Amino acid sequence: MEYSVIGKPVKNVDAWKKAMGIAKFTGDLKIQGMLYGKILRSAYPHARILKIDTIKAKKVLGVKAVVTGKDLPKSLFGTVIKDRPAFVTEKARFMGDEVAGVVAVDKETAEEAIDLIDVEYEELPAVFDPLEAMKKGAVLVHEKLHEYAHVPIITVKKGTNICGHTKLRKGDVEKGFKEADLVVEDTFTAQPIQHCQMEPHSVIAHVDGLRNITIWASTQSAYVTREAIATGLGLPANKVRVIVPYIGGGFGGKYFLKAEAQCVMLSYVVRKPVKLVLTREEVFTATSVRQPLIAEMKTGVNRDGRIVARQCRLIWDTGAYADIGPNISRNAGISAAGPYEIPNVCVDSYTVYTNNPVSGSFRGLGMPQVTFAIESHMDMIAEKIEMDPLEFRLKNVEKEGSIGATGQVLHSVGLKECLQKAAAGGKWIPKKKANKKTGKLTGIGIACVHKTTATPTSSCAFLKLNNDATVEIITSGVDLGQGSNTVVTQIVAEELGISPEQVVVSPPDTLMSPFDLGTISSRLTFHMGNAVKRAAEDARQEILNIASDMLDTNPDELELRDGRVIVKRNPKKGIFLKEMPLGGRYVTGIGHPVLGKGTFCTAREGAVIDLETGQGANASVFWMYGAQAAEVEVDPETGEVKVKKIVAAHDAGKVINPLLLEGQFEGSLVMGLGGTLLEELVWENGRTLNPSFVDYKLPNAVGLPEMVSIFVEEPHREGPYGAKGIGEPLTACIPAAIANAVYDATGIRIENLPITREKILWALKEKEK
Amino acid sequence: MKMKLKLKVNGAELEAFIEPHTTLQDLLREDLDFTGTKEGCSSGMCGACTVLVDGKAVKSCLIIALQCQGKEITTIEGLARGEQLHPLQTSFIEHGAIQCGFCTPGMVLTAKSWLDENPNPSEEDVRLGISGNLCRCTGYVKIVDAIMATVAKNK
Repeated sequence: MEYSVIGKPVKNVDAWKKAMGIAKFTGDLKIQGMLYGKILRSAYPHARILKIDTIKAKKVLGVKAVVTGKDLPKSLFGTVIKDRPAFVTEKARFMGDEVAGVVAVDKETAEEAIDLIDVEYEELPAVFDPLEAMKKGAVLVHEKLHEYAHVPIITVKKGTNICGHTKLRKGDVEKGFKEADLVVEDTFTAQPIQHCQMEPHSVIAHVDGLRNITIWASTQSAYVTREAIATGLGLPANKVRVIVPYIGGGFGGKYFLKAEAQCVMLSYVVRKPVKLVLTREEVFTATSVRQPLIAEMKTGVNRDGRIVARQCRLIWDTGAYADIGPNISRNAGISAAGPYEIPNVCVDSYTVYTNNPVSGSFRGLGMPQVTFAIESHMDMIAEKIEMDPLEFRLKNVEKEGSIGATGQVLHSVGLKECLQKAAAGGKWIPKKKANKKTGKLTGIGIACVHKTTATPTSSCAFLKLNNDATVEIITSGVDLGQGSNTVVTQIVAEELGISPEQVVVSPPDTLMSPFDLGTISSRLTFHMGNAVKRAAEDARQEILNIASDMLDTNPDELELRDGRVIVKRNPKKGIFLKEMPLGGRYVTGIGHPVLGKGTFCTAREGAVIDLETGQGANASVFWMYGAQAAEVEVDPETGEVKVKKIVAAHDAGKVINPLLLEGQFEGSLVMGLGGTLLEELVWENGRTLNPSFVDYKLPNAVGLPEMVSIFVEEPHREGPYGAKGIGEPLTACIPAAIANAVYDATGIRIENLPITREKILWALKEKEK
Repeated sequence: MKMKLKLKVNGAELEAFIEPHTTLQDLLREDLDFTGTKEGCSSGMCGACTVLVDGKAVKSCLIIALQCQGKEITTIEGLARGEQLHPLQTSFIEHGAIQCGFCTPGMVLTAKSWLDENPNPSEEDVRLGISGNLCRCTGYVKIVDAIMATVAKNK
C-alpha cells in the first residue's frame, strides 16, 4: 500500500527547539519559590545507622531543612517489590543509599550543609558476590523480604537474598542430553555498565499545604512514577501529578523511581518546590546500572547440527534493591535458550540481592548480556561439530509458525533473512573447521538475537482538532530522543490526510494526558502507534459524519485526502477541513468539535506466564529479531581489537521513519561497541572506583567502525501498518559478534565481558607458551 | 565577596555582581537563564556546556565567570538570527543528528568554532574536532554527516 507520510524520512519534530537550545529539560526549569535539594549517601555498603547529627548543618545560613528517614512517614517504594525507603532509617544497604537530605536556598549552601552532617555507622558484614549471596546462611540484604509487597508475576524466596526466580520448562532436558550426540557446557559473564544518558537525573517536586504533589521529572514514564509515589505515600492517584519535560536520554536508566521519592520527601518537609539534580558521580553510583550476569549454558546437539536440548542457569546481581531486577530475570529468562527451535529447554533465572550498587533496566532488559552467552556458546558448539556457525544457526532458527520456548506460536519472524543479510553484508566466509590463521589477525563473527516486549501493556491517546485543521495529540508517551513524537505525528497526519506540520504533540502530564506504561521494552511505536491510530480513526469517522451533513451525502461515500473531505465518486465535490468547525463553534456554523480517542491493550490471555513452567501462549505480543556481523582486526602487540565494520540487519516490521530508524541503529551499535570493548564499572567491596567520564570511557566520535544498517520488514498483523519495535535488540548482538570475530582472528575465546586489551594480550601470551 | 563582571552575552552588554567562584556555566544557566547551555558532568568531560568565548569553544563548567571579563560569549541561544537558524543548526535537523538534544548545543558550538578555524576539514578531522563532546544517542554518524554537509555547502 502507498502511504503519504508513513515510511518517509520525516524530520524529528522536536529537533528545531533542541537545535536552538530552547527545549526545556527538567533541570532548566525554575518554579516560583523553588529551593534546592542535596542528598547525603551512605559511607559504607552495609551498615547500621546509629546516629545522625544534623545540628551543625541546620545552623548554616540559607538551610531550610535537614531531613532524615525518622522525620518522614514510613513508606516503602518500588514498582516490582516495595523494598526501598526514600531515606534509610535502620541500615544502609549500598553506598548510594540515602541517609539524609538538605533543602537550601541554593546549590552551594545545600552542598555545604551536607558536609556538616555527622553520621555514626556500625559497619555490617556485607555480600558482594551473587553466588555467595545465594548460599544458605549468607548475609541477608533484606531480612524482611517476605513482608514486602510484590507484583504477582514473580517468585521471591523467603529468608534468602533471592528476590526473583523464573523457571522455564519445555520438554525434558535430561532425556534430550542423553539422546544428543554431544553435550557442550560453557559459562559466561557480563560486567556492570552505566547508561550515561547525557542529562543527569533531574526532579522538581512540590508538595503543597494540602499534600497535592506536582513532580517535574526526567522519567521514562509519567504514570509509573505517579503510581509509585502515590502508592508509596498512600495517596489517591489524582493527588499526584507528574509532568515530563524534554528528557536527555533514558536507555532504561530513567524508568522506575531514581531520585523522585527523595525529592518529594524533601518538599514534603518544607512544602515548597525543591529541585534535585544528581551529579554525574551520583548517576554512576546511586541510580542504576546494567545488571551483571553469570550465565551457565549447557547444550545437547546432534552431529547433523540439530539442537536437542538446552539448559541455562542465569544469576543476576540486582544490588541492594530489586528495582526491575525480577522482571529482567523473567523476560531474559524466558528468552535465554535463544531464537532457536529446541524441543527440550530448562531455564532457571535468579535475581539476587547483594550490597553492590542497584541494577535496573538497560536497553535490552538483560538481552545484551544473555545474547553474549547464547551466541558465544553457539559458535563454540559449531566448532565442536565442525559446522559453519552461520549454517548452524540457520539450521535451528525460529521461523513463522515455530513454537517458541514458552509455547507461543511465533508470528512475524524475519530472523533468517536478518542472518543472511548480515552475513552477506559482512562478506561471510564459511568456516568448516577452526580457523588457523597466521600473519595479520583479522576475523569475522556473527550473532543473532530475539527479544520480547513487555506484555500485556496498554497505551492511550486523545486527539483534539482545531478549526484551522491543526491537531494536538495528547499522550503520555515520553520521547527520549528516539523520535516517538515524530512517529505519532506521522500516524495522525497519515490517517487524517494532513501534513505533519499541522500536528503538535503534548508533553506527558498525568493531569491531562491519558495512561501509557512508558518508554520501555521497545513498545512505543507498536502500542502508542496503535492507540494514536485508533484515536485518529475515531476522529476521522467523526469528521466524515459532519462532512456528510454538510455535503448532504452518506459518510461511506466520503474520504479524507490532502486536507479535504471528498466524495469518492466525484472528487471535485468536497470540503476542506479548514472550512469545518472541528475545533469548536463560536457563534455560527454547523457541525461540532471533534475529539478522537484511542486505547490499545495487548491481550492478557497467555501473556502472564506460568510461574512453574514459564509457559505462555502470548508471552510477548511481538518478538524482535536481528543479526549482526562484525569484522575485526586484532593487534598482537597491544591486544587492541579494532572493529572495522559492523553489518546490522534487524526486523522492525514496517518501517515508519527510515531516518529515525537509522539513528536508532547507529546509536545502538556504538553503545553496544562501548559495552563490548571499553565500558566497565569497577566495583571493589561495594564502592565504584570509576564514577566519572575520566575513568569510565565512553565511545567518542573517533575511530568508530563502518556501520551498515539493513532493515528487514516482516510485517506484524497487530502492529500499526505492520510495525514492531526496534530500540533495544540493536545493542544485543555486538558483544558476541565481536567475541566470535576475535576468536576467528586469534583463536582466543573471551568468555567475560568486556573484551579488553589486557585479556587478549594475556591470552595471546598464554597461547605462545 | 561579590565582584563586578562586565561582558557581552549573545550580543548584549551585561554587568553582573557575582561570587568569585561562580563558573561561567552557573552564570549562564542560573543567573542569565541561558539554559541551552547544558550541565552534563561539571568536570569538562562531556562537552554539553560548551559555549563560545570570543569565538572559541570553551567548556563553561571549567572556567570561572570572572575570567570572561570584557569578553564576548555566544551560547546556543545566540547562534540563530531570530528564527533564521545557523547553517549548522539546519544541517543537524536535516540529517537527523538530533535525538535527545542534550549534547546538541555543545556539539553545534564546538563544530562552529572548529570550522571557523578549519574551513576545509576531512571527515577524520571533524571526528577529532568533536571528540571532546559526548553523545550517547546517535553514534555520531549523523552528527558528522551534518557537519560535513555544512562544509560541502561552504565550498
